[in-house]
Amino acid sequence: MQTVTIKPKKEIKISVEAENISPDKFAGKSEKDIQSLEAYLGNHKTTLGELFSIKVEGRGAAADTKIVMEGNFSRVKRIGEGMSAGLIMIKGNVDMHLGTKMSGGKITLSGNADSWAGREMKGGELIIEGSAGYYLGAGYRGETCGMRGGKITVMGSALDFLGEHMCGGEIIVKGNAGILAGISNNGGKIVIEGNTSRPGSEMAKGTIIINGAVAEMMPVFKLEGTEAVDGVTYKKYTGDVIVGGKGVLYVK
Amino acid sequence: MELLIKNGAVFDPKNGIAGDKTDISIKDGKIVDKVSTKASVIDAGGRLVMPGGVDAHSHIAGAKVNVGRIMRPEDTRSGIKPRTKLTRPCTGYTVPNVYAMGYRYAQMGYTTVFEAAQAIMKARHTHEELEEIPIIDKGALTLFGSNWPTMDFVREKDMDKLAAYVAWGLLASRGFGVKVVNPGGGEMWGYGKNVSGLDDVVPNFDVTPRDIIISLMKVNEMLGLPHSLHLHCNNLGKPGNYRTTLATLELAKQVKPSKDRQVMHVTHIAFNAMGGTNWMDFESKADEIANFLNNSENITTDMGQVIFGSATSMTADGPWQYTLSKLVHGKWSNGDVELEDASGVVPVTYYRQAISHAAMWASGLELALLTKDPYKVLLTTDHPNGGPFVNYSEVIALLMSSKKRQEEIKTLPPVFNERTKLPGINRELDFNEIAIMTRAGSSKVLGLLETKGHLGAGADGDVAIYDIKPDQIDPSVEHVKIKSAFSSAAYTIKGGEVVVKDGQITATPMGRTFWVDASVPGEHTEVMMKDIRNKFKNYYSIGLANYMVQDAYLTHPKVVKAGVVPVEVS
Ligand SMILES: [Zn+2]
Repeated sequence: MQTVTIKPKKEIKISVEAENISPDKFAGKSEKDIQSLEAYLGNHKTTLGELFSIKVEGRGAAADTKIVMEGNFSRVKRIGEGMSAGLIMIKGNVDMHLGTKMSGGKITLSGNADSWAGREMKGGELIIEGSAGYYLGAGYRGETCGMRGGKITVMGSALDFLGEHMCGGEIIVKGNAGILAGISNNGGKIVIEGNTSRPGSEMAKGTIIINGAVAEMMPVFKLEGTEAVDGVTYKKYTGDVIVGGKGVLYVK
Repeated sequence: MELLIKNGAVFDPKNGIAGDKTDISIKDGKIVDKVSTKASVIDAGGRLVMPGGVDAHSHIAGAKVNVGRIMRPEDTRSGIKPRTKLTRPCTGYTVPNVYAMGYRYAQMGYTTVFEAAQAIMKARHTHEELEEIPIIDKGALTLFGSNWPTMDFVREKDMDKLAAYVAWGLLASRGFGVKVVNPGGGEMWGYGKNVSGLDDVVPNFDVTPRDIIISLMKVNEMLGLPHSLHLHCNNLGKPGNYRTTLATLELAKQVKPSKDRQVMHVTHIAFNAMGGTNWMDFESKADEIANFLNNSENITTDMGQVIFGSATSMTADGPWQYTLSKLVHGKWSNGDVELEDASGVVPVTYYRQAISHAAMWASGLELALLTKDPYKVLLTTDHPNGGPFVNYSEVIALLMSSKKRQEEIKTLPPVFNERTKLPGINRELDFNEIAIMTRAGSSKVLGLLETKGHLGAGADGDVAIYDIKPDQIDPSVEHVKIKSAFSSAAYTIKGGEVVVKDGQITATPMGRTFWVDASVPGEHTEVMMKDIRNKFKNYYSIGLANYMVQDAYLTHPKVVKAGVVPVEVS
């Protein structure tokens, strides 16, 4: 087992590109090696060791690596990018692109995540105890597939366009969600416990379940009657009919 | 400045040199017979030496290229290279940024590239981009096939006026030649329609694609333009379209060339050689096109080779782009250029497992391998329609190795063997034939063979050296080496300056932009301009004064003079 503890040395005011904070990059490395990993502070090339105090206990493979982050990381981007195994526990807030492209392992965040968390995620689990910004589990601009696998859970709320271009996996939002959740999705499952508006536009495939109120429905869904899911009865819609979509929308 | 390239195995088809050890001398940017002892020396050490590559059909600059970039931020994720002391940053694969266009062509040993389509109205954008593309010489063909003035003058059968319009349009756009895309179709697309063959009548203009093609061919020869009519056929991309293509090729017999070159260049044949009636029974009919080419003169083509993977389709053929976007369920951008043409951009992916894609892949190769004379088929991918130009080395390897083709065919659906003739074709092209398809042939097609595509005295000092020894390699077996050598030149020399060494950029001079200044009798221009002024008054959204590309847009112009000469019409 390898445990890496990371704390900001001082307040970070300019955004940091920290894609090297990942169990895959840390596994088996000494404190010194990890400290010398590259990071960008704005457009200035620096190292993780310059920005953070880093302590390492033990050695292990990625799957046996736990990264504990404490403090304010609200300007630190791309934490856990592409990770395939292991665990990242963050006590605080983070900037954009948390856990993007991750394929395995687990990230837990006690605070809030800025936009694009879980972008193009392929597997693993991302738990956000606070709230998420825009484009949670979405795709990169222009790509046809966003999230393809894995699971994202948000205890708080999420802003607009969550699950944009989603092709697989699962997103659960316990609170409210902004507009156009699951826009252009082509698979996967989205569950919104709270309220939302205009879900599922351009939906080709996939399932969206909404337990709260839907302020406004897009006029591109066809009401198919009612259906029970896990003992709860919903109005079942299919669409988006404009794109010949076979997506399913369950609304109370 | 003098440069001597010693001990090269030189392939210079125009001058009849095929692998002979020949020294190449360059002085002040031009090939000369001899240089002094002060010349710097490159020892080619028996390696392959060819003239700098010349691409007669690629989409490297202008409005639709940039629409492709805007539509495809995801394309920018590949090909990223930070700036260096010498080079600007690079991005993109199918729609690279302007800098990457120049560097990547130069890295392949190419020194001259022509953008194949600019609307006159959008020409300023084309030149703004050409001005930022480093190293290579370039030029742009101007669209005339669906322009209102063209169709008016064709209907009036007034070839003098049409010639005056073409000459003026080339000046207005600082264009190099006459491009025609789906003639009549661009206008019909304004009404959501298309032409379905050579004899459909374009509403409001009362002309047919046949009339437009023949008239522009005649006018092209009246003006004695360096390049011939450059044609993207009607019905492109439709199963069964090879019949339209053959009927179009027949039209070339009606006009005699004014120069030692073709009267008609039919471009990207892979998209025009389709048999069958739909996408299920689709088959390649490139053999029929090749057969036609083998029995006719004055017609040239290019492959438009499909490369499996990501591509971006971009063309003035607006109706086809709409059809394509529906086929691939993809992104679609639609454009209308007022009185001139339509356009569209659609990202596509060519899949090995899709038989229609595999058959299109085969038809470019079939065309090149079944046409006996390599001067009649240029090597292109219609970048980025069939695939990005960086794949030319792949195409060269496929043409030189039947073994490589058989290996590829194994990865394709079994039904491939019924839909194409490719599996039974054993021909393997040699270095001389490749040099024709990528250098001498393309220069001849463009009408630039005097200074481009060869290594005789007087030619531009553009040379490529590749890291293979022609007498020590069997391209049929060692196709991997062939591909890697042609993808990254050992040396590229542009105007006597070493711009690439070992695949790395070593200098970034600015290339020239070729355009054609064609003279016509002043009274013809006067009569024609009356019509043009009316069009601007009544229809164009911009003023005539804002329409012309000014000299300031071409900081390194190369003007080619042309003008009215009598044309024989049979
Ligand atoms: Zn083209």
